[in-house]
Amino acid sequence: MAGDLNRTLHVSATGMDAQTARLRVIAQNIANQDTTGSSPGSDPYRRQTISFESAMDRAAGVQTVQVKNIGTDGSDWPLRYDPANPASNPQGYVKLPNVNSFIEVMDMREAERSYSANLAVMQATRGMLNKTIDLLK
Amino acid sequence: MQLFEGMEVKKYLTPVLNFLLTFLRQVGVMDPSQIGLFDLAAKRLAWTAQRQGVLAANIANVNTPAFQARDIQSFDRILSGTGAIEPARTQPNHLAGTAAGGLSSLLIDPAKARALDGNTVALDQQLTKVADTETTQALVTTIWKKYMGMFSMALGRSG
Repeated sequence: MAGDLNRTLHVSATGMDAQTARLRVIAQNIANQDTTGSSPGSDPYRRQTISFESAMDRAAGVQTVQVKNIGTDGSDWPLRYDPANPASNPQGYVKLPNVNSFIEVMDMREAERSYSANLAVMQATRGMLNKTIDLLK
Repeated sequence: MQLFEGMEVKKYLTPVLNFLLTFLRQVGVMDPSQIGLFDLAAKRLAWTAQRQGVLAANIANVNTPAFQARDIQSFDRILSGTGAIEPARTQPNHLAGTAAGGLSSLLIDPAKARALDGNTVALDQQLTKVADTETTQALVTTIWKKYMGMFSMALGRSG
């Protein structure tokens, strides 16, 4: 009984872990949204992506979640005409990171919501555990 | 005074006496699992714990591509004996399954909406189910405590 509820806490914890990793990737993208290369014509920061997969925790018999991989976004870099920039190519264009702050902020909101949902389940489970322990009193 | 005639008193007293006798017999057993209500409550508590685990897995996987939301069989179906589905062991040397045997089997929640990545977990529905499970658990633990209080009362202790 209590074992089951403890496993539930573990499942919610893996969910929170995954969302934290996602938030870290988002923070990295937003922090680097203006990072261009340093030499003429060099590549700027490439946006990172993260994906999740469900994992079967065989010992506990529950389905948890884990980070599948942290990849890169292969989309094209936008160009900006800025001949004074040290990273500009001979034509005067600078490659900018393919980070769209709107997408990142929307992703961040979603991560936040998912994190809160996991936290809510954790709190509910803790309440259930406490009520069960109260039976002994 | 009708009430004090032999027949009438017996008519009113018999159910009370019967109840007291049943209760005393149960106290005499003093093994909670032998009493229908405690057995039922224990099963229901196990059911809520199992369901909470499944719902937590759904919510943890809210952003996992192609994840299908799950739920477990409702409690009344378990009571009617159609809940858990396990492979039958027709020979004594058949091995029991190693999967953690729960009270009831998992089912795929019918998807009302599907995200672009194939995920069918709807947070609002799942959180409603969590709240529902929590309420059920509170109800069962309260009934358990009340019933235990009756035993304490019968044993002459307060509380």
